[in-house]
Amino acid sequence: MGRVIGIDLGTTNSCVAVMESGQPTVLPNAGGYKTTPSMVALTADGKRLVGHLAKRQAITNSRNTVHAAKRLIGRRFDSAETQQMIALAPYEVVRGPNDDPRIKLGEKVFTCPEIGSIILREMKRVAEEALGEPVRDAVITVPAYFNDSQRQCTKDAGRIAGLEVLRIINEPTAAALAYGFGKRKDEKIAVYDLGGGTFDISILELGSGVLEVHSTGGSPFLGGEDFDRRIVASVIDRYQQAEGIDLRGDPMALQRLKDAAEKAKCDLSVRETTEISLPFIASDASGPKHLNLELTRVALEAMVDDVVRQTVKLVEQCLADAELQPGDIDQVILVGGQTRMPLVQNAVAELFGKRPHKGVNPDEVVAVGAALQGEALLTEDKSLLLLDVTPLSLGIGTMGGHFARLIDRNTTVPVRKQHVFTTTRDGQSAVKIRVLQGESETAAENDLLGEFVLSGIRPAPKGEPAIEVSFDIDANGIVSVSARDTDTGKEQSITVNATGTLSEEEISRIIEEQELYEVQIRS
Amino acid sequence: MELRSGSDEEGRVLRLVESCGVPSIPLSPAEGYLLSRIDGRTPWGVLRQMGGLPAADVDLCLRRWLAQGLLEAADASDGASGGPPSADDLLDSSLDLPVEAQQRILAFEARLDRPYHEILGVSREADAKIVKRAYFELSKEFHPDRYFRREIGPYAARLSRVFARIAEAYELLSDPAARAEIERGLDPAPAQTTDRAEAAAPVAGLAQSASAARRARAALHPGQLRRLAERKGRSRRFFEAGMVAFEGGRWLEASASVRLAIAFDPSNQAFKDAFGPVQRKASDERGKQLVEQAERALDHNDFRDALRSYEESLVHRPHDPGANFEAARLLLHFGEDLKRAKEYAARACELVPDSASHRRLLGKVYRAAGLVANARRELEAALRIDPMDGAARAELRALA
Repeated sequence: MGRVIGIDLGTTNSCVAVMESGQPTVLPNAGGYKTTPSMVALTADGKRLVGHLAKRQAITNSRNTVHAAKRLIGRRFDSAETQQMIALAPYEVVRGPNDDPRIKLGEKVFTCPEIGSIILREMKRVAEEALGEPVRDAVITVPAYFNDSQRQCTKDAGRIAGLEVLRIINEPTAAALAYGFGKRKDEKIAVYDLGGGTFDISILELGSGVLEVHSTGGSPFLGGEDFDRRIVASVIDRYQQAEGIDLRGDPMALQRLKDAAEKAKCDLSVRETTEISLPFIASDASGPKHLNLELTRVALEAMVDDVVRQTVKLVEQCLADAELQPGDIDQVILVGGQTRMPLVQNAVAELFGKRPHKGVNPDEVVAVGAALQGEALLTEDKSLLLLDVTPLSLGIGTMGGHFARLIDRNTTVPVRKQHVFTTTRDGQSAVKIRVLQGESETAAENDLLGEFVLSGIRPAPKGEPAIEVSFDIDANGIVSVSARDTDTGKEQSITVNATGTLSEEEISRIIEEQELYEVQIRS
Repeated sequence: MELRSGSDEEGRVLRLVESCGVPSIPLSPAEGYLLSRIDGRTPWGVLRQMGGLPAADVDLCLRRWLAQGLLEAADASDGASGGPPSADDLLDSSLDLPVEAQQRILAFEARLDRPYHEILGVSREADAKIVKRAYFELSKEFHPDRYFRREIGPYAARLSRVFARIAEAYELLSDPAARAEIERGLDPAPAQTTDRAEAAAPVAGLAQSASAARRARAALHPGQLRRLAERKGRSRRFFEAGMVAFEGGRWLEASASVRLAIAFDPSNQAFKDAFGPVQRKASDERGKQLVEQAERALDHNDFRDALRSYEESLVHRPHDPGANFEAARLLLHFGEDLKRAKEYAARACELVPDSASHRRLLGKVYRAAGLVANARRELEAALRIDPMDGAARAELRALA
């Protein structure tokens, strides 16, 4: 049996790790980097580029370069997140047949799982080159708040990439696994994960080789990119005031500004001031225009202070869910590049009354945890067990647009709950059920996972048939549904009406295409 | 989101374990009907559709009976039957799961209806830390991930059930409010001595166990909850009727009602506790009725019926000297089972040692069996008690 790799499929960067003679090891790519940009590009001559190669030409080929596709995966085209991405991204997002967002590169339209699969295939290749042997099994991480469709799509991406996805695990959980590896102590751990696009907070407990997730929270709208956007907006304003030129309508300038903002932000984690310098950013009647601006740490902190305070609120909420006080936490682990920012570190230290743990690399810790979980699943030595929870409540839409919770968030998975449905009309032969995930009491504000029709109900007066529907959440956080007539014991047929994920046929077709493509580039 | 169908139980075929005392378990008529349908050929899925009980209750019954050792799997490969009711038939050495692990899973699965404390193996004094440690240890053994990607056949579903129950127990026992309520429900009803108090105690216990169960019910889904509420309501009504009958001295009615209450709510310990005294009273009552019935049969010279009724009465009231005497006399009359006749006669003598007629009967039974010395001893004893017993004297003469 080959080795199992752990892949942190990040919004901006991805990382791959493996267990090597009992020690977790991060595998570097051909360029020697331990992280690979989560970017895919199609060049003018039809070549596909991934990672650093894609990033390098991103500015000149911004229309055909995909970044942050993770923000789109498993979402609906009409969702606020998708619409926000359409407004921001230089590449074209189109509506797919399943109401899913798809990305148009050149003449070809890619599904989001396909884009994810291209990055995963690259990570698989990085691992195979570093290890010198083929790799099949993988554990892939996702943000804790990811719903069923997003997890399913990530798993599908793994399949398309030729990986056997042993498990989808939550990023903060993976970080805690990496931290807890080899520790015999009983500890309560908080993982504060401020990544490129998302914020996750999880409270976990480690004891006698078991890692139990108590509660998990966060926001899919908070992350390092919000910091970048604030910097970009501020720079654009200042430039417009100084030069009278509005850069908002120029995608190429925006991409350059974004890159510069990111770099400036990183600089300001170690310096008090930095310079943003973008020559030839625009031109007017007088000729080419350059952008030269100074940015201070104090100014940056003023721009993003409310974002950081928002994360603190979410941490307090998560602690309350776990029925804990900040002082009960023994260790705080920081994950995500954004946690390098002094403002973030200070806010966290102030909240918990202790300095965060320094022993883990915030960029690599998630992949390491994924590799550890893969090893724990396959090895005979069962000294490590992960007890994870579902991050979102699962329920159904009821009369009047309400949301009836069936499985509360933070319930340990795997879990199964049953619910009995009946008819509202005499002789009714079908019942429609809308399955939703989220915390709002209003059905429309939660994520719709699918719509099911229970058909072939035996003719009976209204209210008499009792159809028992079982809702299962597996260890991956993926939902499945089955139904049974309780009086006859017969399995009830169910059909899916709508779901944001790909059908089996679509996945098979994409896998075939990928194989063709593989053959093409090798020949 | 995925759609699944089918369950692993669907195709299982069950049969009764021969050595098991079926009638000793209180069953509702519908449960009895279900039990009567189990023939070692009908698959589980078909049993669900037999009617009488809702399919979910069929599942519960079958699982319970399997756990109690009343049923076993009737696998085609298994030619030898009548073996012990143990779970050995469920063990499968071809699986990628050690037989010892299989045994532990089966043993745990059989106890899934036990109270939460027993599931986790913690005492009522255990603090939150001990509860958590127990949960972690059990999780390490029974979490489905322990056998990830291994060929464990039906044990995958078993592990899921076991782990779900462990997680539920931990969830409730680590919530102080829920735990307090569960523990209040575990308090036994105060011990009572008199008959009158025995009747009253279970009623007090009823209210307590109802509050205990409330929390446990919170873990059930709405459909189960509705059926459970219905069953519990019926169960309580039966029990209350039983208590009224008990106070009115209508022992048989009381017993039948409590038996039904238990059938509809097998988890209610208060009902089971009440059943003992009610059952004893009812049994005594039934014994007396049978003796009356036997006497009426004798009046009509219907000796066969009389004998049958006397013998049945002895099941309920084994220490009734009159019934023992009459049963022995009738058996001797028919000359069939002299061994049983001897037992009854001897017991009558034990119960009333100074009765010449009992001794004489025992002597006559021995004589009929050809045990001359024993016959002489008993007849002489009869004469010592009553020297005027002419019949005994005549018997003795006949012996010589």
